[in-house]
Amino acid sequence: MNRTHPIREHQLMMTRRQLFGRAALGLGTASLASLLGRDLAATDAPGSGPGGDGVPTGGALGRTHHRPKAKQVIYLFMSGGPSQHDLWDYKPKLQEKFGEQLPEHVRGGQRVTGMTANQKSGLPLAPSKYKFTRHDNHDRGVWVSELLPHTATVVKELCVVHSTFTEAINHDPAITYIQTGSQIPGRPSLGAWLSYGLGSMNENLPHYVVMHAHTSFAEQSLFNRLWGTGFMPSDHQGMLMRSQGDPVLYLSNPAGVTRDDRRAQLDALAAINQAQHARFADPEVLARIRQHEMAYRMQASVPELMDLSQETDDTFKLYGDAARTPGSFAACCLNARRLVERGVRNVQIFHHGNLPKEHESQCKDIDQGCAALIKDLKKRGMLDETLVIWGGEFGRTAYCQGGLTRENYGRDHHPRCFTTWMAGGGVKPGITYGQSDDYGYNIADADGLPLQPQPSKEAWTPGTMHIHDLNATILHLTGIDHRRLTYRYQGRDFRLTDVHGHVIDDLIA
Amino acid sequence: MNFSRRLAVLALLISTALASPVLSVETETDAYTVDFSREILPILSDKCFVCHGPDVQDEDGLRLDTFVAATADRGGYRAIDPGRPKQSQILVRLHSTDEPMPPADAEKQLSPQERALLTRWVEQGGKYAQHWAFVPPIKSPPPGKPAATNGAAIDAFVLARLAERGIDFAAASERETLARRAALVLTGLPPEPEQLAAFLADDRQDAYPRYVEQLLGSERYGEHQARYWLDAVRYGDTHGLHLDNRRGIYPYRDWVVRALNRNLPLDDFITWQLAGDLLPNPTLEQLVATGFVRMNPSTAEGGAIPAEFQAKNNFDRTETLGTVLLGVSLTCARCHTHKYDPITQTEYYRLLAFFNSTAEKSMDGNAYVYGPVVKAPADQRGWQHWTQLEQARDQLLQTVQAEADAFSNLPAEAAEAWNHAASDKRLTMLAQADGPFAGWKQHQEAAELAGKIAALEATFTTTLVARDLPQPRATHVLRRGEYDLPVGTALEPGVLAAMGPFPEGAPNNRLGLARWLTSRDHPLVARVLMNRVWQRTFGYGLVRTPEDFGLQGKQPTHPQLLDWLAVELQDSGWDLKHMLRMMVTSRTFCQQSRWRSDVDDPENLLLARGPSHRLDAEVLRDVALWASGLLDPHMGGEGVKPYQPDGMWKAMAHPGSNTKQYVRDKGPLLYRRTLYVYWKRTSPHPMMTLFDAPDRESSCVRRSRTNTSLQSLGLLNETQRIEMSRALAARLLQSQQNDAERLGMVFGLLACRSPTPVERDACNSLLTSMKQRYADSEKDALALLAIGDAPRDESLDPAEHAAWTQLAVTLLASDLAIMLY
Repeated sequence: MNRTHPIREHQLMMTRRQLFGRAALGLGTASLASLLGRDLAATDAPGSGPGGDGVPTGGALGRTHHRPKAKQVIYLFMSGGPSQHDLWDYKPKLQEKFGEQLPEHVRGGQRVTGMTANQKSGLPLAPSKYKFTRHDNHDRGVWVSELLPHTATVVKELCVVHSTFTEAINHDPAITYIQTGSQIPGRPSLGAWLSYGLGSMNENLPHYVVMHAHTSFAEQSLFNRLWGTGFMPSDHQGMLMRSQGDPVLYLSNPAGVTRDDRRAQLDALAAINQAQHARFADPEVLARIRQHEMAYRMQASVPELMDLSQETDDTFKLYGDAARTPGSFAACCLNARRLVERGVRNVQIFHHGNLPKEHESQCKDIDQGCAALIKDLKKRGMLDETLVIWGGEFGRTAYCQGGLTRENYGRDHHPRCFTTWMAGGGVKPGITYGQSDDYGYNIADADGLPLQPQPSKEAWTPGTMHIHDLNATILHLTGIDHRRLTYRYQGRDFRLTDVHGHVIDDLIA
Repeated sequence: MNFSRRLAVLALLISTALASPVLSVETETDAYTVDFSREILPILSDKCFVCHGPDVQDEDGLRLDTFVAATADRGGYRAIDPGRPKQSQILVRLHSTDEPMPPADAEKQLSPQERALLTRWVEQGGKYAQHWAFVPPIKSPPPGKPAATNGAAIDAFVLARLAERGIDFAAASERETLARRAALVLTGLPPEPEQLAAFLADDRQDAYPRYVEQLLGSERYGEHQARYWLDAVRYGDTHGLHLDNRRGIYPYRDWVVRALNRNLPLDDFITWQLAGDLLPNPTLEQLVATGFVRMNPSTAEGGAIPAEFQAKNNFDRTETLGTVLLGVSLTCARCHTHKYDPITQTEYYRLLAFFNSTAEKSMDGNAYVYGPVVKAPADQRGWQHWTQLEQARDQLLQTVQAEADAFSNLPAEAAEAWNHAASDKRLTMLAQADGPFAGWKQHQEAAELAGKIAALEATFTTTLVARDLPQPRATHVLRRGEYDLPVGTALEPGVLAAMGPFPEGAPNNRLGLARWLTSRDHPLVARVLMNRVWQRTFGYGLVRTPEDFGLQGKQPTHPQLLDWLAVELQDSGWDLKHMLRMMVTSRTFCQQSRWRSDVDDPENLLLARGPSHRLDAEVLRDVALWASGLLDPHMGGEGVKPYQPDGMWKAMAHPGSNTKQYVRDKGPLLYRRTLYVYWKRTSPHPMMTLFDAPDRESSCVRRSRTNTSLQSLGLLNETQRIEMSRALAARLLQSQQNDAERLGMVFGLLACRSPTPVERDACNSLLTSMKQRYADSEKDALALLAIGDAPRDESLDPAEHAAWTQLAVTLLASDLAIMLY
C-alpha cells in the first residue's frame, strides 16, 4: 500500500520523540497534539504555498508558508495606550483650538467611554504641550516629540504607522484583543501562535519569553492571558523572565543543593524512570527524562544569559545606566537582544504605565532602551532578521478627560487612530504610513480628510492598519500566512486574525 | 449486504484509519452502503458547509446541509439527483478540472479518499441522516451481556471492538497497581497504607468492589471530582477582568464538593445550578448553587459601557452552557448562523435570553459581591452544623404542627401568619418571647435553637447567586454580535430546535431551560456528561473532543457504549457514583496499562490497555502533601495561599487592585488540599499553570498534558515541594528502623508496592552519596532543612534527614509518583 498510514506515521513520530524529546521538534508537538485528540493545524502540505519557498521550522507548520523575512520577533508592548498626540502625531493646527469642543462631524458618531461620556466640560480639545521636531527618514520625514529624543535618532530604521485602529475602548478588552485577536478571554496569544507555528531554534531556552519592565507609575494591569495559550497546549505559553528572584521560575536549586547534588538526583531519577518505562512502555516517560535533562542545561544557560558582566561599557552607554538595574525597560531590551542572539524566537516586553498622566517619566523609562535596541541589533547585523514592534492597545483622544489647562490635561481612550512602529525584520525602514486628520482623531486620506467610509476590519482600506492587519503582517514577516496557521478547537479552525486581517505589503521591504 | 463482508470491511477500516473519521474505500471490491452520519457529514461539514451550509446568505445559494435543499430542482439539474444519481451535478463538479468543487482557491481541499467517498455516497442515492449527536441515544443491549448494568456491560462493548481485531483485553493489573489507580481516579490521592493492606489481604471475591465502595464513600472523593466541574464552569476567586478583584463565591465551590459527596442526582445538580432560585421555596443550598449563573468574568473598568458588558457577560454564559452541557460551540452563532451545526443566530439569542434578565448589573463595581447574594456557611463544618440545626428545626416545627388543639386557640391573625410563613419565620415566631407561642411547650427549645442558628449565621459569608428581574430585559439578535446593533423584535427565551423540543408546560425561564436539558429526550446532555466522566476515569473521552460533539467534532470511538452509558445514567436516576462504580470495576479499567507490542494503537482508541498519563497539577501537590503527612484535611472556606515566588501578582496588577499583594498564609492553611488554593484568574498559582491548569477565565473541559523542562524545575525546586519532601523524609526516619524499611514505606505510599532491585539500587546509591555529602557539610544540610515553615524535628541527624529529603524530592518528582498507570 502506498497510501500514508496514520498510525505508522504516528509511531514514527513517537519513536522520534523518544529519541529527541519534544521541545525541539515539531514532530513531537504533532504527536502530542494527536495524543490529546486535537486536530493539528489545518495547514496545507508544508511549504506548498505560493512560491513554495518556505523554510523548515521546529513547529507545527513543518515549513513556513513562504520565505520568512524575520526569524525572530521582539515586541515592545506599551500597555495603557500611549498618546499619539504627545509622541508621534504632530497636529500644529490643534494649538489654536485649545479648549474648543471636538466638532461633532469629527467625532462622527464614535462612541465615547463612560469616563468622558457625561463630562460637564464636554469634549474640549487639548493640544499637546510638547515640542515636536521633524526628522529626516527615507520618506517624507517624521515628526517626533521631545519626549522621545533617543527614539528620534533611529527614525531612519522605523516604519511609523499613524493609522493603526481597533474597536475596543477599554484597556482589558483592547489589550486582550490586540494580543489574542478577541476581546473576550480564551484565545491563544500572538506569541503562542508563533511558538506553535514555528517552534524553537534553541533547545536550551524557551520559544517565547515575556518580560515585565519596571515602570515609574504602574497604572494598568497585565494578565496571564496576554502570553497564554487559550485552548492550545499550555507549553506554548510565554515564559516569564523575571527580574525579581529567579529569572525563570524555580530555576535555582534549593538552598543546600549544589549542581553536583542535582546531577546525582537526576541520575537516580533517570534510573527510576527508566524502570518505570520498562514496566509500562509509555514513551511519555522517556520524553520526561529528556525534559529533566534540558532543565538541567537551562540551569546553566539562563544564568549565562542573565550575566551582563561581559557586556561592554559601550553597550551600557548605549542602553543607559538604567540597563544596569535588573527589570528596567532598558535592561529588558538588553536581555531581549541577548535572547534573540541565542536563538529565542519571540521576546515580548510589557511596559505598563499611567498614560498620559505620567507621560514624561514613562517616556524616559522606555525611550533610550528602544533606540538602543535598534542600534544594537543593527550594529550586530541582526536587525535584518529581527522584527521589532512598538505599540499599545489603543491611542488617546484629542479631547481632554478631566481638568484642562495648557500644561495639564488627561486624554481618554481612543481606538480610531493611533501610532505604532515597526523596525527591521523585513519592514521598510524610514517610512511613515497612513495619516490622521487635523485633530489626530480620524484616519485621513493624503489631503488630511477623514476617510469615508470609516475604515473597518471587514475590508482593508489602503493606508490603514487594523490590529488584525498588524498581526497578519507580523505573521507574514515570519513566514506565516495568517489565514493558514490554524488550530482546531470546538470544531472550528481558529486563527489569530479571526476571519479578518490583511497583510500590508506597502510596509514590507 | 453480506454481514461478514461488512465486518471485514469495518475491521480493515478500523485498522487503517483509527485516527480519522475519513475512511478509505479504495480496497473495496463490492459496494457497501456509505454511512452518511459517520463518513459523509464530517466531510461536508469540514469542506463544504463554509459556503453551502446552514449559513448560506444568498437565497439562490446551494445548501448541502439538508436532503431537501441538496435535491431541489435548480432549473433542469439537481446537486444530488436521487432518481438519477449519476446525473447529479455534484458529481460533475467534484470531478471537474475546469470548475472543480471545492474551488481551486478554497482553503480546504478534498483528499482523493474523500472525493471517492462522496462519489460513492451520491451514486448510492445521496441519502441524508441526522448527525449522530442530535439523535437521542438509544440503549442497545451490551453484546452478549444484554442485561448487565455493571462493569460487564462496558466490557461487552469494548470487547466487541477488540474482537473485530482479533485481540483481547490486556491481562489484569497487579492488585497494588489497581488499588493505586482506582484511588487516584476516584479520590485524587493514593490509598491509605492500612486501607491498601486490608485490600491486599482481602481474598473475598468482591474485595475490589468493596474497596471501590470505600473510595466512593470518602470525603476526598467529592473534593477530587469537583475539580473537573470547576474547570468547566470556570470557577475562580476573582472577577477576572481589569482589576481582577476578589469575588465572594467560594460557598459555591464548597457546595459542588458537598453535592458530589452526597451523590446529588446529576439532573438536580444541573437544575439547582441553573435555576435553584426558581424552584419552589428554594433551600439555601439551591440558592448557593446558582453561583453557576454568576461565574462569568466581570469588570468595572472605568469607561466601560454597561450595555457592552451586559452583552459580553451573556455571550460568555451562553457559550459556556454550550461547552459544558451541550458539548457544542455556540460562538459562531453569536455573529451569524452556525457554519456547521444546525444552530441559527436567532436561536442563539433566544438561548441567551434565559440569562439576560438576571438582576445584577453588568459591571461588578470592583466589589467583593455585587447583585443578588445570600449568606451561607463559610466552610463544610459550617454547612454540616447548619444542616443539623435545620433538621432539628424541621423536627421541632413538625411537633408544633401536630398540636391541633393549641392551634385552634391561637388568635386567627397568628394562625394565618403561621400558615403563610416559611420554616425560618415559623421558628422566629415560635421563639418570640412575648409572641403568640410564648406559652407553648416548644417555645423554650425554639428559642435555644433560634439562638444557635443566629450564632451560626453570624459566621456566614456572602456569596453571589442568581435572581431574575421582575421585568425581563428585552433580548434582540445583535448584528455581527455587536451590542449596539440590535435588530428585529424582542425575542422570547427559547432552546435549540435541533436538540429537541422545549418540555411542555415548563416555565419559560432558567428552570424551564434546566428541564429541557435534563429531559429524557435531550440528545446531548447525558452523553456529554458521561463522556467527561469517562475522560477523567480513563484519561481520554470516548469522544476525543469533549468540547465538540457537533459536526466538526470527533466521532465516538465506541458509539454504542457512549449511548448506553448516557441512557444508563438516566435510568439510574442520574446516579454519578453508580456510573463511576461501573467504570472502575470494568475489566477495561482494570487491565494493565502497559503499552502493548501486539496492538498498534498509540492513542488507545481501542481501549486495549488501561489508563496511563501524567496526573493533574492539583494531584501532584496533594499526593506529596498526603505522603508527607502535612495535608490538612479541613474542607471548604476561602481560598488559601501557599508559597508563591514573591512579586508575581504585583508585577502585573493594577495599583487599585485588591489582589495585587500576594500575602501567603501560615500554619495549616499552607497544607490544605489544592482544590482550595486561591484562584486568581489573571494569574493562577504558577505551579498550577506550569502543569496545565486553565486560567478559569473561560470554560475548560479538557486540560492539555504537556511535558516541559520548566515542569522539571518546578518539581525539583519549588519551596513547598522541598518542604513536603523533608516532612516525608522525617516521617520515614521517625517511623521506620532502617533504610530498607524506609524505602519500602515510601514506595508503598507513592507506588503501592515495594521497590524492585533496580529501583532500590538507584535509591541507595543516591542516599549513600547524599549522606556523605551532607555529613561533610552540615551547613548545607541545615539550609535545605530550613525550607518551608514546617518545623524540623531536631532529634533527627541533619545529614541523614537531608539525604532522605533529597531522595524524597527525587521520588516525588519521578513518574512513580506523578503518573497514573
